[in-house]
Amino acid sequence: MTMPGSRTMERPILLKLASNGFLVLWLIAAVFPLVWIALMSIRAPVEALSANPLDVLFGKTTFEHYYAVWVTHEFWRNFLNSMLVTAGVVSVSLTVGTLAGFGLARFGGALAVWLLIIALIFRALPHSVLVTGYLPPFLSSRELLAPLWESHWSGWFFQLLSPAPPTLYGQPWAIILVLVAINQPFTIWMMRSFFQNIPSELDEAARVDGCTHFGAFWRVIMPVMWPGVITTGLFSFLLAYNDYLVTALLLDTQSQTMVPGISQFLNRDTRASDQLEAIAAAVSITAPLFVLVLAFQRQIVAGLTAGAVKG
Amino acid sequence: MKGKTFMMFVAPSLLMMLLFIAIPLGLVLNQSFHETKAVVERVTTENCTPGFIAPTCTTETRTIPKLGADGKPVTVTDFVGFDVYRRVLDLDAVARALSPGGGGIADILQIDYWKALRFTLSFTFITLPLVVGLGLLIALAVNAIPRMLRGPAIFVTLLPFIVTPVIGALAIRWLFLGDGILTRAIEWVLQQDISMFAQGWTIEIMMLIYKVWHVAPFAFVVFYAALQTVDQDTLESAIVDGASRFDRLRYVVIPHLAPLIVFVSLIHLMDSYRVFDEIIGFASQAHVISLQYLTFSFLTPDETGNRAVARAAASSMLTMIGIVILLIPLLVRTWRMHRESRR
Amino acid sequence: MRRGRHDELHSLKAVHAAHGKQGRKSMIRKVLAAAALSAIMTASAQAACGFQNTVPVKSLTSAFEAWKAVTAAMAECGNIQSELDQNFRAKQPAAFAANPSLYQIGGVANGTLTPLVNAGTIRPLDDLVAKYGQNLSPNQLIKVNGKIIAVAMMVNTQHLVYRDDILKELGIPVPVTYADVLAAAEKIKASGKVQYPLGGTFKAGWDLAQDFNNMFVGFGGTFVKPDNMPGVNSEAGEKALDMMKKLSAYMDPEFLVSESTFVQKQFQQGKIAMANLWASRLGALDDAKESQFVGKFGVAAAPRAIEGGLPSSTLWWDGIVIAKNISDTEAEAAFRVAIEGIDEEMVKANNAAAIWLVKGYTPGKMAQGALDTAKGGAPNYASTTSMGLLHAAIGEKIADFMAGRRDAKATLAEIEASYLVKAKEQGLVK
Repeated sequence: MTMPGSRTMERPILLKLASNGFLVLWLIAAVFPLVWIALMSIRAPVEALSANPLDVLFGKTTFEHYYAVWVTHEFWRNFLNSMLVTAGVVSVSLTVGTLAGFGLARFGGALAVWLLIIALIFRALPHSVLVTGYLPPFLSSRELLAPLWESHWSGWFFQLLSPAPPTLYGQPWAIILVLVAINQPFTIWMMRSFFQNIPSELDEAARVDGCTHFGAFWRVIMPVMWPGVITTGLFSFLLAYNDYLVTALLLDTQSQTMVPGISQFLNRDTRASDQLEAIAAAVSITAPLFVLVLAFQRQIVAGLTAGAVKG
Repeated sequence: MKGKTFMMFVAPSLLMMLLFIAIPLGLVLNQSFHETKAVVERVTTENCTPGFIAPTCTTETRTIPKLGADGKPVTVTDFVGFDVYRRVLDLDAVARALSPGGGGIADILQIDYWKALRFTLSFTFITLPLVVGLGLLIALAVNAIPRMLRGPAIFVTLLPFIVTPVIGALAIRWLFLGDGILTRAIEWVLQQDISMFAQGWTIEIMMLIYKVWHVAPFAFVVFYAALQTVDQDTLESAIVDGASRFDRLRYVVIPHLAPLIVFVSLIHLMDSYRVFDEIIGFASQAHVISLQYLTFSFLTPDETGNRAVARAAASSMLTMIGIVILLIPLLVRTWRMHRESRR
Repeated sequence: MRRGRHDELHSLKAVHAAHGKQGRKSMIRKVLAAAALSAIMTASAQAACGFQNTVPVKSLTSAFEAWKAVTAAMAECGNIQSELDQNFRAKQPAAFAANPSLYQIGGVANGTLTPLVNAGTIRPLDDLVAKYGQNLSPNQLIKVNGKIIAVAMMVNTQHLVYRDDILKELGIPVPVTYADVLAAAEKIKASGKVQYPLGGTFKAGWDLAQDFNNMFVGFGGTFVKPDNMPGVNSEAGEKALDMMKKLSAYMDPEFLVSESTFVQKQFQQGKIAMANLWASRLGALDDAKESQFVGKFGVAAAPRAIEGGLPSSTLWWDGIVIAKNISDTEAEAAFRVAIEGIDEEMVKANNAAAIWLVKGYTPGKMAQGALDTAKGGAPNYASTTSMGLLHAAIGEKIADFMAGRRDAKATLAEIEASYLVKAKEQGLVK
């Protein structure tokens, strides 16, 4: 499609106009809602909520809402929690998922297909189904886990980890495990498709040279798998960073990530400034995502092109 | 690879899915067949509440849950078979609606579960072709512009997809709510007062627009990536054969994209069948609800602090059966492809 | 200025507003100055608490104006984390059932007390009240079965709020009955003074159901019979629905998303002229920073549905409870903190924020609506399981009627059916 010399490949002018016009319309539609709330977030309440759109466009710029969100309401705590949860989910999910994806791509048995089909069904599960199962044990985990800590033969081990059984509700690391599990089906499918496009002759050659499967994975596959890992990692990042349902139900205020944290502004909402603080918080949450796409845009396309999505 | 090595590779992943997906799922399944009731007793108590000037104290007989020796309410759990499912599906009301004197389909769609199912299915199947079509069009359009412009175009296109769903929905809602800018724009075009949040169908349209806006970029990026690998030789020979632009699209490009169209459809099917964030973002529960929202609302404690766990479990099981039915064609295809690849 | 975080926030905003005028150069200096200022205020504020709290205490309460004032006053004692959430209702029962409880202090009202009492997750306060509650009046003590289980700080009710200037200008007397309200709405509509004559807390779910409850009371209905069977499918129920439909014709057509904040903003932006609104909202409503019509609002008792009947409203109280699943030391600290939060000093500083039950409160002009509603005989909202279930059932089904998808009779039948499903699940009826 990229052959500037060939005449037949050139597009008729009408089609070109239609195609480019459509693209411009879409780009405006894509960016408009985000630009608009970003503008609202830097206007005083009277202007931001004014009926006249010109007030929003050309009103006086003020950062009072951001100041209120980040300094007065200490939104940076939520930011740190978000970073912790996201980093945890991405790293654990990729480590575990890459291994499983490689295994699935290289194992020919029917068991692998059944696992993939079950994973597909797990991928489709509504998350509220799972949260139904989590909430009660998470709240009362201290009582539920007590026998492990009190018993003779396992107690010494668990007491090394913590003196008393933990309450899982409100623990960021427990949420990391939950989100990793929820994300596993997608990760192993992506990584499997990706590894299938890496010729198995590569690692087989390494095995002939006397490597174990893990050795072959480590030496031969690791160096070439990064485009796929980065693409999959980005999807894990989005899942963890954007999650609302799980984090809202299983974390308390102190450990809350940014997305459910925004409800503290939405739900107080008794003044106009509260609503604008919610908007400022929403924009703050979106900003890191902008940077992320800017940095990794090339890799997303490259990773997908390299075959991470071939069925 | 031998079975044992295979197990070592997949064990960590399997363990996590077992612990955090399979076991909770089993618990939920079990809960859907059981019903837990509090043991209640009728007691006469004196209760005081603030009044003006002096408190109002009344002595009355109330039905209250019995507290056990440990200070917690005493409960009994019974196996009830499919009773809870019957209640969620409200089969009696369905039978009434279908009987000669009943209101037919219209009446059935008033029942929470069927209302949610109707919305969930129509939401899924209306957005599906729109997402695939729009994604394909954007991919073709971006692929046709000069290389140096593609970077920025891809960047802007990806934005709606990466934005947090709840925030994206809120952003669109703020544009329409009350005298939001888009509502004013439509009012200006139509020259009449409109209220986008006053009736169900306008809210539904806004949710559809939001979903397409949010997911089309995902379809785009997958299709765009695939367009980079279209076989140039085939295209050239098609040109030599005198194939028109449309023919080339139809016989070379689309078949090349076919597996990816299936992939995008599959992901979209699964994601929109569990539509939830949109209901929250658009606060549409007065007019339309989705299956996942139904489960969520059963799980939310009511005014007495009680969660309808059994009904939530039953409705999540029904949701799951629905998604498996939708996925069957795709599951069969996966199985076949695997069989073929082994041959 | 003296009081806690909330006022700090406003003074900071004031400092901040100055930035725009003075340009960016002095921005950093100003921020530093503001930070220093807030540090000084925090220091002086902490001195205002009667004791230095050393036990970490967390509270979960609603988020309206009065709670902002109370939690700010509690924060002065140190080591307090307050969570203000309008959706606290969904979180509180589970959080208090955990062992140890996730919060020590809870903010409750008549309705939200029920689940905590039923689950036995809050502790009797008799000994703590005896030790630290010298300044509490007997009227503040909520008793169930003879034991004190909560300490109330304020009462709340929905009553009529109106734009005094518009009513005077059009020569409309303050409505006493709902027939008057409809007549007045028609006149206001004809005058074109506002976009919509009426507002209402008609948000689908809890809010809309509460408005039905008010109207049902006004028409003399009985919610639940002594044998726990529902009573809404009755003449009073049909009349109540009918009246709500008539009122909604004068409202913004988007009334099904309209909760208290929405109505408050409609008033402040001059879009509506009359509404039944919570007394607790009046402080925030009449705020010069947000409202274009400060000082132009009037209040009156909730309108009567029948001539000479009861005001169509229910009386509520808000107060604090202490969790059971915490140590006695924590409970003691939590109770002392909570008492500091609802002391005379706080009430004097926030007199207009609520109808306080605390000593030192002087009812202002805006409190008259609530007082008249109570004097007119509006009943207390019952803290019973059956009422809670019925409220939930009404909330689920009533939007269908308001949106025109079901008629009154069918809606009421649906409400009763939904109530019976829940009541059976909880063993209230066989």
